[in-house]
Order: sequence, then structure tokens, then C-alpha cells
Amino acid sequence: METITKMIVINSSKLLPSDVAIKLYESKADVMIKETCFGVMVSGEREIVDSLLSDIRKLDKYGIFIKERGFAPGESFRCRATRRGGARPGFHNLENEDKLLPHIASALKALDRGEIPIRKKQTKKLDINKFKEIIKESEVLQ
Amino acid sequence: MSTTENLVRIAQLSCGAEYSGIQNEIDSAVKQVNAVMVYPEVDITDIDSIEDEFGLKVASPDLKLMMARAKSIVTGKVHVDAVFIATCFRCAEAAIVRSEVRRYINEKTGIPVISYSFTERTTAGTLLTRMEALTTTARRKSLLAREKQTGLTAGIDSGSTTTKAVVMKDNKIIGKGWVPTIKVLESAQEAFDNAMKEAGVTRSDIQALGTTGYGRFLIGEFLKADLMQEEITVNSKGAVYLADKQKGPATVLDIGGMDNKAISVMDGIPGMFTMGGICAGASGRFLEMTAKRLGVGITELGTLALKGNAHNVKMNSYCIVFGIQSLVNSLAGGSTPEDVAAAACHSVAEQLFEQQLQEVDVKEPVIMVGGTSLIQGLPKAVEELLKVKVIVPDNAQYIGAVGAALLASGFISK
Amino acid sequence: MKVFIYPTNSLILYDLVERFGHEPLAIMQEIGKKVRTQGLDSPPMNMTPEDPKFGLKYAAVEVPSGVRGRMSLFDPLLSKAEAAIIVTEPVISFGCMGCARTNELVNFLLRGKKIPLLKLDYPTTEEDAKIFVYKISEFLKSLKPAEDKK
Repeated sequence: METITKMIVINSSKLLPSDVAIKLYESKADVMIKETCFGVMVSGEREIVDSLLSDIRKLDKYGIFIKERGFAPGESFRCRATRRGGARPGFHNLENEDKLLPHIASALKALDRGEIPIRKKQTKKLDINKFKEIIKESEVLQ
Repeated sequence: MSTTENLVRIAQLSCGAEYSGIQNEIDSAVKQVNAVMVYPEVDITDIDSIEDEFGLKVASPDLKLMMARAKSIVTGKVHVDAVFIATCFRCAEAAIVRSEVRRYINEKTGIPVISYSFTERTTAGTLLTRMEALTTTARRKSLLAREKQTGLTAGIDSGSTTTKAVVMKDNKIIGKGWVPTIKVLESAQEAFDNAMKEAGVTRSDIQALGTTGYGRFLIGEFLKADLMQEEITVNSKGAVYLADKQKGPATVLDIGGMDNKAISVMDGIPGMFTMGGICAGASGRFLEMTAKRLGVGITELGTLALKGNAHNVKMNSYCIVFGIQSLVNSLAGGSTPEDVAAAACHSVAEQLFEQQLQEVDVKEPVIMVGGTSLIQGLPKAVEELLKVKVIVPDNAQYIGAVGAALLASGFISK
Repeated sequence: MKVFIYPTNSLILYDLVERFGHEPLAIMQEIGKKVRTQGLDSPPMNMTPEDPKFGLKYAAVEVPSGVRGRMSLFDPLLSKAEAAIIVTEPVISFGCMGCARTNELVNFLLRGKKIPLLKLDYPTTEEDAKIFVYKISEFLKSLKPAEDKK
């Protein structure tokens, strides 16, 4: 059975990474748990991790986001503590995506309410004749 | 290579190294020179704004990260002793960034920088001499600041084609030896013996010995040398010393038997350098083969080239095999040996110009050293390409040995 | 269904695909396999010069080794993909997604597979995010009947 690592990113007003970690410990599942600044990482057999995390997601379905991670928690070549210097490249991705999570959460809520968002009109390049008119008008003003 | 020396922190600014499967080779090379790679810390805001700040827009995010990391070094956010900039060979976008980042760091900080383009075939062995030069420059600034040879010292340069030795006393060369490299140790001993004989001294009189070149460790250990140093720092030092250009900027070009070196020097210390060796067609070996084909000695090739016009001979290839073929065809087609000799020199100079001088900043004076600098057609061809005066100092063929003897005098008091 | 996501290391896309009941195909799975491979010792990712050589399947030798090495990581994902979600102009992402040439080639190959494909812009505002999530949910729903047919 394949051992994998999944990353739980928490963007919630209700939950702290430690709350999620406690729940994970309480499950007594055969997994390795590591709290991080973004949330929690869980390592174990794929089936166990997947089933455990589908329960964890229910703690706050709009505040918990999950993805798989290639490296195990604390892997020395990736861990900032042992890597000598800046974060691993993926950290900056996560930092970027984290900023968008509140919007995604609110979009998920809207979806559950059955809202159909209004699509924005696609902006097209300005018609050349209209552009010419604008140029002429500005010439007159000068 | 001493593992007892200070640990050197080298910043790795790279794109594609992990995915080319060579990160392990890089790490292994730096470990051998008692250095570590560090990855400068950046903030996400630095990455967001770096294109505007640096003024270069790129499509590949890893190159943005590279620029942001360079900024961290320049602003002093992170302390490093040296910088290794590496990107994939044949990536145009990366080549532009690599070159600009190298210039930016070196100009703003003076930290030694090496830039390199790798393929999946790059090995720790290929990187070792470069890393050694980088760490030496960072680690031994006081030794490299030495401008005068003192006492009685000797230097041996064990090159791929020839082995050179000099004995120096009170800032003067008093004995020289130059032999073809056959067996590394025996050739070194012979060259050294010749130099000592001319100088009228014995091994026990020599107060300090320095070795450089491919065989530096082997002969250094055998002859109990005080200094075993790669040829980039040693040749830079030797070049500015012999050309009497120890202060300010200089560019040192050394076309070797197997590979070429182009080094940007400031006050005798290498700031940026490249070492090439992809094709033997750009090396002294090519000129040697041309000379053989023309039935002249290697030094005669140079004087012959001065009388010829390179543009009268069409060369379609830089390759040592096909290049020679072109020359043979030209001879058969009626070209003069003079034109062929000039074309061979031009071809080597052009490759140096196209493949290596783009990796360093060429600042005058340009000093050509090594045995090939004595093939007069070659400095002339470089002059024509660079449009600058090229200096070939006296004893240019002994450059490595002189540099080693000069630096070795720093060990006398020890 | 197995849904290829682009950027292929995206937290948001991975989460949404899994949340809506499909299997995301992400690069982290391939990296995980490499890292966990016993008997290889080429840290950090256990990629070796053999990987860029394998990448010759997708690009000629004159294509930089970094592109070919990355393509060898993408290979299993591309062959498994039954659908794909592509976000255009995503936020800067590094590492596996750090090379623009590789990203262009991956996008091109996905198009060539003639699989259901959703292309959308990276959201910046809350309103954009609503459209983004809605489109993805509709797309993933539309894939389900195909799975049922199997």
C-alpha cells in the first residue's frame, strides 16, 4: 500500500491547526501528524489518509482545503530548518493561493446556496474607429 | 582542497538543476571544497515586484525567483561568500537572466560569481574546479592580494598537454622548465628538475612550492607542495603579475590544450569566470592538429597566420574533426598555408568569443596567457574580434607556474 | 474521472476536484513516488540524468534538460488524464511549474488529447472566484455521466 502525505490548509475563523491536530490524534488512525504554520500534514497509507481527511473536512467545509504533497513532513531537503535559507519553491505557491482562500470559501458557500454567478462581459479591444474619434476629440481639446 | 578551511556559503541561483537530475552533482562538488549551497530567502512581495525592479520581464517563474534571490544578496538580506548561477544549456530566456543577474551581483557587491549552463551530463567532476576557484576566491582573499614574490619558491603547472615549472627568487624568474605531459608525475619531476638546474638550486633550497593544473593534487602530494590550487585563481594572479596590471580591472584569456578560461579580474582577484570544454575545436589541440597538417611547428603556425587572411578560407564547422576537414579541403582547393593558418586561429578565437566571453565582462586590459598565446595569429584574431589591444606578457606560457610560485611565497613564514 | 489540473501543484484546484468527487492528477503524486523510491539516492527529488533522457519522448535533445526532466514527471499524468482544468495566467508558481516552456508544451499536449477541457482565468476578486468555482463545479458535474456509462 502506498504511503502518502496530504496537507490540510486551514483558513477558518472557527478552527486552529491545533484543533485539527487534536481531532486527528483522537481518531487513533495509523498516521503521522505534523502541525505547520498553514495547517497540518498527515502521512500514512492512502486509503487511511483519504478516509480520515474526508471526516476532517466536515469540521469546517469552507475553511479546510486539502492537497497531496510529494515530500514527507520534515523532509530535510525541503524543510526550512535544514535547507539553509529560503523556503522551498512550493511554499510561495501556497502563500499565494492562501490569499485567495477566503474568496474560494465564499464562492463555495454561494454554490451551496444555489447561487448562479453573473458572468462578466468579456472586454474586447477598442474599436479602431472609436479610438480614432477619441484621438480627434483630444486634439480638439488641446 | 582543504577540508580544514572555513566553510564557504555559496548561494545557488538556478533554474532547472533539480529537474535535470544534477542537483546531487552540484551538492557533491561543493561538499568536496568544504562549502554549502544556500538558497537566499525571499518574500512573496519581492517576487511580485522583481520584474519591475530588475527591469526584465520573463515567462518562467523560476527565473523570477532567481532575480528575487539575487536582490536578497545585493540588499544584504542574506550573507553569502560566493554565488553560483546556473541554468539549462540552450535556454535562451535563462541565458539572458543568468548573464544579467551575474553582472548585477558582481557590480553591486563584488562577491565572486560563477555562471554555468548545464545539461543532464554535467557531473560533480566538471563542476569541481569551478567550485574550487569560487571558494578560493572567497576564502583566500589575503593570499590572492599578494603582489610580489619573495624568497626562493617554485611553481609547477601540470596541464593536459604540457607541464611547466619555474623557480623564482626575489620577484624574478631564475629557472624554467617546459616538457610535454606524458606521465603526470614524471613529466612534473622533469620540468621541475630542469627549472631547478637552470636556477642552480636543489629541492631543499626551495622554501615553498605551489602546484596547479590538472595534475595539481597528484604532484602536489608527491612533491609535498605548500599550495595546491586550481588554475583559475592561479592564472589570474600570474597574468596580472606578468603583465604588471595588478590594480584595477583586467580580463584574462587562456586557451588551453583541452579547455579555455575567460576570467574577469579586479585587483588580481577573479570576479567572474567561465571555463569551457565542450568542444576541442576551440582549444590548443585544434591548432596543434592544424600545424601538423601544414607540416609546421606549433609556434611557426602563428607567424604563418600573421601573413594570411582568415576570410579567404571557408570553414563550416567548429568541430575538431570537421573543422580540420574544412582546412584540408581548402588546401586541396588551392588555399595558401598562410590563409589556412589564419583561418584556424580565427576559428578558435571566434569560438572563445561566442561561447565564453558572453559569460564575463570584457574589460581592458585583455591579457592572453598560456602556451597558445605565443601562436601570434591567435592574439591577433582575438584583437580583431574584440576590437581591443591584447597583451601577451613575457613568459606567458609559464603563467600557471609563475602564479603558483608567487602565491606559494605566502607560505614561507609558515 | 481522473482530472489533470493546471497549475498542476495547485491547492485550490486539487481541493475542488477532490471535493466534487473526482480524482485530481497532480505533480505532487509523481514527486512522492520518486521521493519514496528505494535504491535511488539523488536528493532532493531523486531525479537523475535518466529523467531528462526519458523526456526525449516529448522533446528533442536540443530542448533544455530542465524541460525534458520536467516532462518525464508529467508523463504519467498526461497519459492518465481523462479530463483537464487549465487556469490561464495563474499566480506565479515555482519548482515543477517554474519553467514556461514546459508549461506551454504540457498545455499543447493536453489539447491534443481531445479530452473534456475547461479553461478559465485565475480569479482575483470575490465575484471572479464565484464564477471560477461555479464553472469548475459545473464542468466536474458534466463529467459524471461519462463515468456512469463505464
